[in-house]
Amino acid sequence: MEGELIQAAKFIGAGLSMIGALGAGIGIGLLVQGALNGMARNPDAYGNLLTTMILGIAFAEAIAIYCLVVAFMMLFVL
Amino acid sequence: MEKTSKWKWGKYRWWVFGLFFLTWVSITYIAVPIQPHIQVAPERILLEPLFTLPVLGDFYLVNTLPALLLVDIIIILMALAVKKALQGGNLVPKGITAIIEMLVEVLYNMTETSAGKYTKKVFPWFATIFILVIVANFTKIIPGMETIGVLHHSDHGYETKLLGGNWFTILPVEAHEGDGYIVTPFFRGVSTDLNFTLALALIAVIMTQIVGVQTQGAGYFSKFLNVKTIFKKPALGFIDFLVGFLELISEVAKILSFTFRLFGVMFSGTVLVALMGSMLPIFAPAGIFLFELFMGAIQAFVFGMLTMVFMVQATQGHGEHAEH
Repeated sequence: MEGELIQAAKFIGAGLSMIGALGAGIGIGLLVQGALNGMARNPDAYGNLLTTMILGIAFAEAIAIYCLVVAFMMLFVL
Repeated sequence: MEKTSKWKWGKYRWWVFGLFFLTWVSITYIAVPIQPHIQVAPERILLEPLFTLPVLGDFYLVNTLPALLLVDIIIILMALAVKKALQGGNLVPKGITAIIEMLVEVLYNMTETSAGKYTKKVFPWFATIFILVIVANFTKIIPGMETIGVLHHSDHGYETKLLGGNWFTILPVEAHEGDGYIVTPFFRGVSTDLNFTLALALIAVIMTQIVGVQTQGAGYFSKFLNVKTIFKKPALGFIDFLVGFLELISEVAKILSFTFRLFGVMFSGTVLVALMGSMLPIFAPAGIFLFELFMGAIQAFVFGMLTMVFMVQATQGHGEHAEH
């Protein structure tokens, strides 16, 4: 009974910690909106804007990855 | 009315069908996919430690060490291929040397637009980290990398079936307590090891400080310990001092952020492939592998680019304006 309660708590904790990925989704959406706006105004800057957009997406996604790491630690390590 | 072309079957349709059939045969008759045992720490191949140091403890032969050896051998072979291609005196290389030359040129141009006159100091770090991480991420996806391994006894294990010689395959049947086996793969992606990513992050951040000291002298540390205006204007000077302290904390945060970004992306990819492989083994893992390739390349690029940007920031002083 004790082990199963701890297992259930692990699952609930992992699920709750993934709510933080919501911010990353919104952030990436805003980033791509800004990049598309820039590309539409100035199609010559396509390459530069694309590179900066990919870099920004990797940053925003890193926050969601931190949430995922905490979820993994709850499921598999602790 | 415009002419619409007749829809044709794909050119490689027999190849695709053949591979589907091969997958189906191997799943049903040879090796049934099961969900592997996933753990954050890399698994041990040999259960006894290789050697023991007095303060640090035991050192085991871990999953990721053969993979790191493989990555190193691949990079050395790439370098030797480039050397041999350049020896002919042909200025326009062909084959793999052309790809590597294009890569190095793209990275060098990117460094040059940011760094200006410090390009020669900063570029080796960017390129090394990029090539190491991208080769490590791409070798993780080779079939057989994280599936073929050693069987170890385990409490919640599975039963095994003999395939021939000394090769076994694991059946999806739970064994009795204490009698089952689990697979410990020989190779595991190098970037899924926290030691590797932490080492790269430490190297990047410490070399950033060293590049800062090389270009600015000992005045570089006034970024952290800012006591210039603390006597003239006490209020602003105190805020400057706090900002310097915040910069110090930000350096430590950079180490943590580098480590967990790369580790998180690669480890979550491993878990995703393992789970998808056990649930929908026939066609879905192909899409996951494509995603993995893309994410691996992006993470390598981001790691290198961030290192380069931090080094360029370290060469610029407090009140200077950037020259491009």
